[in-house]
Parts: sequence; C-alpha cells; structure tokens
Amino acid sequence: MVSKEISCTALVQEKLDLLKQNKYHTVNSLLEETALELASKVDSKIANGEKIGLLEGIPFGIKDVYMVQGTYTTASSNLLKKYKSPYTATAIQKLVDAGSIPLVKENCDSFGHGSSSENTIFGAVKNAINPALVGGGSSGGSAVNVAKDFTTFSIGGDTGGSIRQPAGYNKVYGFKPTYGRVSRFGLMAYASSTDCVGPIAKSIEDIRIVLNIMSGKDVKDQTSYASEEILEEEISNASAIKTVGYFKNFIESKAISSTIKEDFLATIKKIKAKGIKVKELDFFDADMLVSTYYTLAMAETASNLSRLDGTNYGARIEGENLKDTYSITRSENFSEESKRRIVGGNQVLSQGFSDEIYLKAQNLRDQISARFTEDFHQVDIILSPVTPANPPKIGESLQDPLAMYLSDAYTVGFSLGGLPTLTIPKGTSTGLQITADQKKDAQVLQFANFLNDIL
Amino acid sequence: MSNIMTVDILSSIKGAKPSQSVNQLFEVIQNANQNSNTANTVNTNVVSLHDLREDVVIESSAIEKQIIKENFPKEKNGFLVVAKVIED
Repeated sequence: MVSKEISCTALVQEKLDLLKQNKYHTVNSLLEETALELASKVDSKIANGEKIGLLEGIPFGIKDVYMVQGTYTTASSNLLKKYKSPYTATAIQKLVDAGSIPLVKENCDSFGHGSSSENTIFGAVKNAINPALVGGGSSGGSAVNVAKDFTTFSIGGDTGGSIRQPAGYNKVYGFKPTYGRVSRFGLMAYASSTDCVGPIAKSIEDIRIVLNIMSGKDVKDQTSYASEEILEEEISNASAIKTVGYFKNFIESKAISSTIKEDFLATIKKIKAKGIKVKELDFFDADMLVSTYYTLAMAETASNLSRLDGTNYGARIEGENLKDTYSITRSENFSEESKRRIVGGNQVLSQGFSDEIYLKAQNLRDQISARFTEDFHQVDIILSPVTPANPPKIGESLQDPLAMYLSDAYTVGFSLGGLPTLTIPKGTSTGLQITADQKKDAQVLQFANFLNDIL
Repeated sequence: MSNIMTVDILSSIKGAKPSQSVNQLFEVIQNANQNSNTANTVNTNVVSLHDLREDVVIESSAIEKQIIKENFPKEKNGFLVVAKVIED
C-alpha cells in the first residue's frame, strides 16, 4: 500500500467481493460500509505522506461471537439473530485502534457449541481444501476465510480447541494464547474458565504481530494479565529448546488414523536428528480428558447462557406467563446441540450430582494441571497431533455427538491447563500442536519457526 | 411446589431431557479416581483481592443506550414491554 501498488480501498473492496461471492458459508454479515470508510481514511493518510502502522489498512475477519459496536452479533444462533452489539470487545478495539479494518462477522458453531461449524443457522461451513468436508469448529468460518485469502487474518475463539482444530483442518496457523493473555471482555462467554481469544493467520509472523496488539491487562477482564511484547528476534532462534515431549498414549490410541500416527512419528525423528532430546510422556486417557472438559464446559455454559431468556434482548416468544415465556423462547431458539449442553450443565450442577460429577471433574482438572507442571520440569515443549483423524464429511458430526466430543481429545487438555498452544499446518494432514508452559507463548512461536525450517 | 426440579425446569427449556451421549461422558467422571493431593495446585487464575478494579459506575455512551433500546424485544407507545409476570 505504501509503495502505491494497491490502494487500501481496492484491497478492501477485493476482499469484500471475494467474501460476497464465496460459497463456503463463512459469512454471517459483512461490515462493508465501515470497512470502505476506514480504507478511504488510510488511503488519505498515505496520499498525505503520513506514516502508517504495521497493521494499518489490513482487513480482518471476526468470529461472530465478538461484540463490535453497531454490528449484528448473532453467535450463529436464532436467539440473537437480530442482536446488535452495544459496545466493542477489548481485543477487537485494540486491532481497530492499530488501524486494522474489520470486514466480516464470521460463521461458527452457535455459541461455540460444536467442532464442525455445522451447528449454525447460516449453513454448514465448508472445508477450504475439500468442500464436501466440514470446516471444523467452532471457529470454522474464520479458518476457511484465512485459508481462502478472503481475510488477511481472523480472530477466533478457543474454549476446547475451537481455533486450533479448524486451523488444522484448513491448513493455516491458529493460536490459543495462555489463558488471560488477551482480554475476554466482549467475547460471548461459553466456558469462562477456558475461553481464549486468538488469531488465525497464514504465517507465524502474522500471528506474532496480531497477538502483540491484542495482549495485555484489561480492567474489564480481571483474569487478564500484563505481558511482554514478543519480539521478532526473540522467536527466530530456538536454541534454548533442548527437550521436546509427546504423549505416548495419544499416539498409541486406537482412535488415531494410521497416517497421522506415521507422519507424527516421522516428525519426531526429524526433531531428534536435529539434536533435540525427545521424551515420551504418560498422560491421561483421551476419554478422561474429553469427559472432564465437557463436564466443566457444560456447567459453565449452562450458567453463562441462563441470561438468554428474551427479556432484555433476543428473539422473545411470548407465553402465558414469565416462566412460560422464558422456556418457549429458549426451547424454540437454541439449537439441539446448545440445548444438549445446557441440560448437561444443569444436570451436573444440581443437588446430588454436583459432588459426584462436577466437583470430581474439578478435581481431575487440578490433577491434569499438576501433571502439566511436572511435565514442564522435564521438557520445554510438548508436541502433539491436532486431531486423531481427518475432517469428517458434512452431516456426519450432527448424527453422532459423542464421536464429535471425542474428536477433541488432543485439544481439550491444553485448554484445561490454560496453556499456550499453536497449530501449525505441517507434520500431519491436520497439522501439529506446539505447547509450552503457561505464559511462555514466545517459546511456542520459537519452536514453530524451528519446525517450519525442518518440515 | 415440589423440591425436586427436573432438568427442563432448571434449564428453562420445554421438554428437555438428559442426553445419552452426554451421560456417557459423565459416567467416565463418576468412575474416575479422585486425588486429594492437588489442593495446592488449584485456582492459579483466581484474582487477588489487592488487584480488584475500582467499584465505580460508568455511564454508558449515548450510542450504547440507543442500541440497548433497539435490542429490546418489544416496544409499545414509546415504552419497552416486558413479558407478563404471574407470581406462583
């Protein structure tokens, strides 16, 4: 743009046209008018010889669970189909302040409830590589938009793998930062104790730049923390990484596809060949990880979504009395998957079940976190596949919810640990996950650069 | 009123029933071993009492107020209409 090869307006218009014509069901709404206005301002700045920032004029996409003032924020649900954000999420505001241009609110699983982006009123998101397959989820629209170059980067949300899995399915980078590094203010809450804001992009450098802009303590999210900027030089050299671990049981599981297993072990070989020590680690069974995660996530979502009753906003359906209005509004407007999770959450929070299930799941989460702490005394990085198998065909996941839950086996553990984890589109057909200890997000990007060089 | 509340009442969802798929997940938890030695590792994300934000009321902007009104499901003669309340 600065060399005047393309104007910002032309760039934004090109992306808007691509988004409008696209048949992948990635768009919930376009922010055309404001995007073109902002682009014209950037062009004026360039014409006046003013300096522009690194992200200035760069068009980006936003998963439709983020508040952006004055835009429809539907969470891909019937209940909020006509809901407009009164304010803007902190992470998005920081990007806008840095000059980035929001283009599109992106399709996703309703309220983040799903792993395929089929649980949406806007039509199932199609995979960028093979449109007969799912786009992954819940940030499916965001990953597909990046993969197809409809957006330069997109902001997804990751509760149990919702950035990392669609990134893997569509062969792009997707980063879930350490829990709290980026403010959650203005992100519609799914499971507050693991919800994370993160970027999806086509390069590690783009991930680094966007992450730096969004990071930082925010008084509006008391779980956020102040963090250091990650410098380009800091992540260009991985010589400090001496030992890499992987979970033996993930790779020996019956559920993993033989190709993903072989490719993963081939990657391990290449890492060893570079003189890095590799350690096999014992970890919790996949069904234990998935069950712990879903128990807690359902309990939290039942609580978070209890506010959606059609009283102050949302598609209210009047009943005979107040309670009737609540229940008709909710039963008619929530998807089957959202209802399944709300009911599951209320089950485990109710008297008689909370001790036996919810509190026990909390205890298991503590055991999982404790194991991570032990593991990171032995290794610098944990490497794992993103998914046990390739993306399913559109329609398959809706028929078998349990199979969909179990497909999250490799991502949910890192969410429970609040650990920084990046998907890189290399190493297996659905990519690799790189994880470091809490607040060591820079180390993840360091190792990603190293892997990029050797794979 | 009965003390036992079914999940459809708890969830405010008509006809809601527990799902078999979800119950299978809960069974795994019920059969898992508890560990009593993890008490000190919990809640690393808790907020310190010394780090709480100030308890102040922040006035919403005019546009925020306008959008909040627009989002209200029902309006009649300039009033926002709530659902009919019947005490039981």
